[in-house]
Amino acid sequence: MKKFLLYIIGIFLVVLLVAVILDGLYTYVFMQSKNRGKIEAVVNSQEKKYDVVILGSSRANNHFVSQMFEDKGLKTFNYGMSGGHLFEASLMLKLMIERKYEIKNVILEADLNLSNDQESEGVAAKFLPYIHSSKVIKEHFLPEDNFKELYYIPFYRYIKFDSKIGFREVYKIAKDEKTNALDNLGFYPLEKHKNGNMKNNIVNLNPLPHNKYYEEIKNLCKKNKINFIAVMTPMCENVVGMNYFDKVKKAYPEIHNYENAVIENKYFSSCGHMTSEGAKLFTAKIIEDFFNASKPQKLD
Amino acid sequence: MFFNSLAFAIFLPIVFFLYWFVFNKNKSSQNALLIVASYYFYSCWDWRFLFLLVFSTFLDYFTGIQIEKSDSDKKRKFWFWLSVLVNLGFLGIFKYYNFFASSFAEMFTSFGFKVSPFLLNVILPVGISFYTFHGLSYVIDIYYKRIKAEYNFIDYSLFVSYFPLLVAGPIERATHLLPELKVKREFNLEKAKEGVYQIVWGLVKKVVIADTCAVYANAIFDHYTSMNSFSLILGAIYFAFQIYGDFSGYSDIALGVSKLFGLDLLRNFNYPYFSRDIAEFWRRWHISLSSWFRDYLYIPLGGSKGGLWMKIRNTFIIFIVSGFWHGANWTYIVWGFINAVYFLPLLLSNSNRNNLDSFVLKWNLDSVKTLFSILITFLLTCIAWVFFRARTISDAILYLKRIVTDKNFGFQYLDNERYNYELLLMIGLFVLVEWNNRNKVEPISGKRSMLKMALAIMAIIALGTYSDYKEFIYFQF
Repeated sequence: MKKFLLYIIGIFLVVLLVAVILDGLYTYVFMQSKNRGKIEAVVNSQEKKYDVVILGSSRANNHFVSQMFEDKGLKTFNYGMSGGHLFEASLMLKLMIERKYEIKNVILEADLNLSNDQESEGVAAKFLPYIHSSKVIKEHFLPEDNFKELYYIPFYRYIKFDSKIGFREVYKIAKDEKTNALDNLGFYPLEKHKNGNMKNNIVNLNPLPHNKYYEEIKNLCKKNKINFIAVMTPMCENVVGMNYFDKVKKAYPEIHNYENAVIENKYFSSCGHMTSEGAKLFTAKIIEDFFNASKPQKLD
Repeated sequence: MFFNSLAFAIFLPIVFFLYWFVFNKNKSSQNALLIVASYYFYSCWDWRFLFLLVFSTFLDYFTGIQIEKSDSDKKRKFWFWLSVLVNLGFLGIFKYYNFFASSFAEMFTSFGFKVSPFLLNVILPVGISFYTFHGLSYVIDIYYKRIKAEYNFIDYSLFVSYFPLLVAGPIERATHLLPELKVKREFNLEKAKEGVYQIVWGLVKKVVIADTCAVYANAIFDHYTSMNSFSLILGAIYFAFQIYGDFSGYSDIALGVSKLFGLDLLRNFNYPYFSRDIAEFWRRWHISLSSWFRDYLYIPLGGSKGGLWMKIRNTFIIFIVSGFWHGANWTYIVWGFINAVYFLPLLLSNSNRNNLDSFVLKWNLDSVKTLFSILITFLLTCIAWVFFRARTISDAILYLKRIVTDKNFGFQYLDNERYNYELLLMIGLFVLVEWNNRNKVEPISGKRSMLKMALAIMAIIALGTYSDYKEFIYFQF
């Protein structure tokens, strides 16, 4: 029995050693990644200058046409992430500041995502390879329930989120396989879908009175002298529970309501996501309202 | 509590420690501990069905004794049929009632009579098909005087509810397992190490092969109408490896865990995809179920004795019942029927026992023929698996039809953002490893076992699928 217990201990040591080696290897590969996604691009970047940085969920990613800002002479990148919550938007901004980005304006899509202050597992997972190398990421995840497992157990984070940061992703990074996440300056244009869902019921959705990560972004902007523009972006015609946006306005009066800027269904790919045509109309209105000649926001 | 869960990783060492260090005085204390552990294991699934397990155990224990004690054939038959009917009654109610009720209603509706069947709102107790068959085999063996009734309730209870085999087999025989439970187990280092090898290889099969294949097979089967021929062929292959990895992986873990407790369970899989014909496949796939049906259904029906029609009838009965055992769906029945059709030519030409020997490949024509037979057998198996996996028979037929009619054999991007061909290399490697070790129980033992163990652990950690798929397919049966 003693021999067997020693044998089992040996196996555990092998497991531990393999986990440590794989953890180091995966992390190293992720540290080299620059063209797979927005998170990797920011984490592995150095100081940059932007006139406009766009943050938020897919409703930012699909709605703000970065090129239209660029055409106005504003250096812009859309860092909106499909499926992302404000948890990830806040962390992205912190990382940019940590990397000494000079940002003049932050446009934050703040509407449906104000209803929760949880992490979006699928998106948040992509920060985890860097949890040991970035103090900002570590501290951002610190209040999360599973922080200790993710931080201290070697390779656990790669197992837990294997579909996002597992072997397949590592292999693609190693192969230098590019994604389209960074194309069009981060804007992802959508097309009209024949079967797009043009109904949405948000009756049960309520904005949190003090969304922790919204406040965090606002305070970060204030502290770093970044002009903060929070906007609610459009929804299609058939939304049930549109008073949600009134509730947002009441709780956060500083958020600009653009929910009605584009309403016709023909401009929507699905109820919460505009087509590129709709996005262009909407972006033109944002540029007109916040970046016209009488209100210069551009960096020197 | 899945074998591939953290809960089981905690549960197993605790039971192991208690078994060998605290309850190791005699076989009674060892068995008592395993009973408690087994009931706890089962209650982790659903404690409400524990009563069913206990009732089934008590019924077979009691009727077994009564059959043995009975002084007349009439009484023996009474107790025998009481056990059989109650066991099958439970199985029928929980597993098949809704299927029959809705099938009859559909049949009446097709004749113009509108019928609204009364359906039961019950979930299937996990493992019911397995422990019911344990109990049935015991009672049948006593009835036919092959074994003596077991008078020790603890020993008998453990035979029925022993946790490694409780929810997905292998389906044990009283003649095999009960004698092992009647003696005190002594720790055997080599056996325990074999157990560890088998557990680790079972995990490779489950989390690396089965769960990864499941991600691709599900994406293809769930959207088969938009898949091209190449994807559909791959989908069938992926499912073939998913179900093999899933079920044989489970069996390997069950056998490995048992070896840690000094117990040997029946081997359930013997590299079935290296079979040279369907008869050999069924001697290598889910061996404990195939042999159960052979001994308790096929042979009592007359087996291959009697006339030609008797042989054909018995073959179809055993395969269709075996299909139906898997679940209350016409797809399983058709799956069984197809296998009977595959088997029939071998039976009629008396060649169903041709490939009993092992084979060695050489550079000659015979080896090419052997490889060709293996490929054909695998192809036939994959076609049958399409019916097993599809939701309905028409889905399966359309799936197969589309393979032929689509005629596009290019790469395809699946709905889950993966390319259809991505797993081929991994499956190829897996087949190669199994092929090279087909004369062993698992590939880790032997020379350089620690290195092979490290590689297997690395595969489990780095290549396993953890977020998308976890459940064992056979738990639903």
